[in-house]
Amino acid sequence: MAVVPGMTELTAPYWEAAREKRLVVQECQSCGQVWHPPLPRCPHCHAADPGWRPVRGDGTVYTYTVVRHPTHYAFADAIPYVLAIVELAEGPRLVTAITGVPPEQVRAGQPVRAVFREVADGVTLPYFEPAPRDTEHGG
Amino acid sequence: MSGRPPFSKEVAIVGIGQTAYGKALPGTAWDLALEAILAALADAGLEPRDVDGICRFAPPFEPVSEPQLVRALGIPELRFFAESPLGGEALGAVLAHAAAAVTAGLARTVVVYRALSQSRGGRFGRADGRGPGGAGSGGAGADVVVPEEDNRSFAWPYGLMSPGQLFALWARRYAIVHGLTDEDLTRALGSIAITQRRYANNNPNAMMRDRKMGWDDYRRARMISEPLRLFDLCLENDGACAYVVTSAEVARTLRDDPVFVLSATQTLSPYREPMGIYVTGELLELFPPAAAERLFAEAGVGRGDIDVAEFYDATSYMPLRSLESYGFVPDGQAWRYVAEAGTGPDSPLPVNTHGGHLSEAYLHGMNGVLEAVRQLRGTAFNQVANAEIALVGAPAGSAMILAR
Repeated sequence: MAVVPGMTELTAPYWEAAREKRLVVQECQSCGQVWHPPLPRCPHCHAADPGWRPVRGDGTVYTYTVVRHPTHYAFADAIPYVLAIVELAEGPRLVTAITGVPPEQVRAGQPVRAVFREVADGVTLPYFEPAPRDTEHGG
Repeated sequence: MSGRPPFSKEVAIVGIGQTAYGKALPGTAWDLALEAILAALADAGLEPRDVDGICRFAPPFEPVSEPQLVRALGIPELRFFAESPLGGEALGAVLAHAAAAVTAGLARTVVVYRALSQSRGGRFGRADGRGPGGAGSGGAGADVVVPEEDNRSFAWPYGLMSPGQLFALWARRYAIVHGLTDEDLTRALGSIAITQRRYANNNPNAMMRDRKMGWDDYRRARMISEPLRLFDLCLENDGACAYVVTSAEVARTLRDDPVFVLSATQTLSPYREPMGIYVTGELLELFPPAAAERLFAEAGVGRGDIDVAEFYDATSYMPLRSLESYGFVPDGQAWRYVAEAGTGPDSPLPVNTHGGHLSEAYLHGMNGVLEAVRQLRGTAFNQVANAEIALVGAPAGSAMILAR
């Protein structure tokens, strides 16, 4: 059992890209601004029909918390887990979880990169793990 | 700001009422709402038939509706009713709407209330089927599908589902921005939690009145969502609060100690809703500085004029940051301020003198309004001497300044 995102016409392209192990954000086809999560129009120039652009999947940890008490039974076996807000190199931030590192080694400003994990049939979520260069320098 | 302030002592709170607070009270939320409203009306010397306006927290937070109250109280006719969304963000808004209705002549006597039965309606600390807004699965082993509502579908699949987890992200961000060690943050949050517990120990209405808490108790409590420990988080309980708003002119005929509304505000900016996902701007700026300036400018008072503050405290982090965001302490210094000067009875600004959500009860900030009224009447259990002006504020810019 997993907690999975409901998909709408607006949000489906994001999750379909994730299923293909790609991270995308919306981009205004008129003024070029990027943002996340998706909106029906560009919040800057209000142009309709925003497009999608791939992002590298590199970012840094903006803030985080180690969850040690589950508030939903779906996560009872997952604790402790590390929730984070990650700031992408391209600017937008997103809510995610940090994997591939002991919780006590997560720190603010840490370089991270996107990894993809299938959590249910046909549903893949982008997670983040320490970027390789960061690991080489001792984590 | 242009023109004259919107309220300027033309509106007053003339009655307050509450139920007992407890883990599992015998009544439904409807029962509790009626008890608190009748108590508030009796306190004001008014009858249900005098009520012609109601302002409340919007569903799904407030479970008791206007038709339920009109029917059960026999209110002949409501001619103004309004609901304010976004949980704690409604705290200042419900008073702003009530006061605006009175000054505009849309209503004469407005009841504001909040009723909560977490024992029956679900715990706010649960995000599954045991929580009021929770998402349960369709059956054994089935996946839980999160609707795309307020961007929840971009947060819940990762297990970011409860207020305590969100506020842990705020608190960690505070430590990051201002360079606090874990011990610095523990001392700051613990100072607030322990001070509020001491207030509650002297408040017969507080759920924690008989439960002492020292530093060892605080530090030994289990981590819930780091850096927040068990006693950094608010209580979960049943109970109800209500107050009655009318014109200053009517108020003076009802009692000799009305509490006047100097200002009441609400605010909303992109990605600044209190339970939102924080994808732009600085996370610490959840209270926009412009909203704080407006609150004080409309009240016509300064920070030094505030005698007591009741800050919304779903977690101990929120009063800490509120001291800064409302302008009482410079940015980045509240952690040191609360550890050194503190927020107790002899501090420069006593905070959450009823014990707050951490140690009196959780009523979505409404019990803080009632405490402010008691302080200004001079009837609080932890009375601040000669309190004349009080601030009640949520961290996202929903606030009020009241005066006797």
